[in-house]
Amino acid sequence: MSNLVQKFKDRQVLSRLKNRDKEAFIRVYDQNVKDIYRFVYFKISNREEANDLTSMIFLKTWNHIQNKTLEDAKTLRALLYKIARNSIIDYYRENNGKQFTSLDNQDNKLEIIDESQNTPEDLDKKTNLNLIKSKLPLLKDEYREIIIMRFINDLSLEEIADISGKNRGNVRVLLHRALNALRELIEKDQGSNNE
Amino acid sequence: MDNRELIVKLNNLKTINPDSAWLANNRELLLSQISNSGAENISAWKAVLINFSSVARIASRPVFSLGVFILLLLFGSFFGRSLFLNAKPNDSLYIAKIISEKLKVNTTFNTQERDKLALQFATEHAQAITSVLSDPTFNNEANKDQVAKLNDNFKEEVATVQNKFDKLDASKKMTRPGTANPKLNSDFTLIDDNVVIADSARDKQGIQLIDSAASQIKAEEVLESTKASSALSSLAAKEAKINLASSTGNIASSSESAPEVNKNGASQILDEAQKLFDQKDYSQASKKLKEVEEIIK
Repeated sequence: MSNLVQKFKDRQVLSRLKNRDKEAFIRVYDQNVKDIYRFVYFKISNREEANDLTSMIFLKTWNHIQNKTLEDAKTLRALLYKIARNSIIDYYRENNGKQFTSLDNQDNKLEIIDESQNTPEDLDKKTNLNLIKSKLPLLKDEYREIIIMRFINDLSLEEIADISGKNRGNVRVLLHRALNALRELIEKDQGSNNE
Repeated sequence: MDNRELIVKLNNLKTINPDSAWLANNRELLLSQISNSGAENISAWKAVLINFSSVARIASRPVFSLGVFILLLLFGSFFGRSLFLNAKPNDSLYIAKIISEKLKVNTTFNTQERDKLALQFATEHAQAITSVLSDPTFNNEANKDQVAKLNDNFKEEVATVQNKFDKLDASKKMTRPGTANPKLNSDFTLIDDNVVIADSARDKQGIQLIDSAASQIKAEEVLESTKASSALSSLAAKEAKINLASSTGNIASSSESAPEVNKNGASQILDEAQKLFDQKDYSQASKKLKEVEEIIK
């Protein structure tokens, strides 16, 4: 039933956007901006660039909808991610393959909500996050992307399959491999620190 | 570190968010940009139209349509008729009543029950037609087309009632013991004047055969005792003898002929109702139809 309600809401928002409804666009922006930002940020590893790209992705989505080419994605969220992927590819192309490999430099300090409570647990959490954050850029682009979509932005397997143009089975296998690759990187790092 | 632990840690990366000031500024910036490209606030009626079309698109999916159809079918068959119970043949809602009745008839799987329902509905329709035609404000020159149509409908309904009666009668004959169940004949030797009675003392197969000789002895015992008891008993004995004769020889035939009587009686009453209707004596025709309805019940 909730699935049906979600489909109805999706359909309603899409129809409103096609009718150039400003309110609907803002609602879509409010609901998705943080996820899209995170997706872009983990892929290009630069906060300022991520801000610009995120803004551009929403504008491109608006234009895409107005040009009546909406039907190539199953959901609006899938469409946003597809446009984000293409925008990131364009970004790399424009920068001649230049890639920011570290997310963990002085300019990109990790923000954790409620930082006033610096308990040992918080510090531990922060350390873990920094570790994972530093290892994510070392993964293959395909693995990194799927991990972000599934475990950070909570997309369903169907949505990921729709965005990446793969079937559900392939997505599942890819996720498993991506997790193993990330775990290996982290364990390797922890092992070298212990030595 | 196992995968679950890793996933929990990955989930914690959700805490990474864009700067809130940037979020607000960018929102305003985008809003002004899309406004320049023709975005506007849509009117309330357009919003309603969009909602309606969204529902229609979702509802047009085969699975959903099938679900709605089944729900409507169930709802229609159970509650539809009661909703339009008071609709008359000259009402616009009468067609809805007919549809709901047809739904109910078609969703009844027991053949006999279905025929009985159809019979009941046809009788009710015929009655409704007579009651409408008995109203002088409707039955006049201005509505002569409708009146003629209702006359035809009445004949059709009466024919349906007759037909269903025949059908029910035929199905009863089929299920009657001794005629439809050959197994019964092979298991029991039925002598002349045997009576098949289903009572509390029946055998494993639910059937008890009472021999006419045994029943005669019992009846004679009763006769003797009544003779001895009082002067009035002689009269009672005569009655008992009469009863005895009928019970030994004719019980079976009388019990089997009961539906026949019903059917023949109903046919006769229907014919009378038809005649009265033709004579435009609608109130009497309606009474006759009520009698038929009583027989059905």
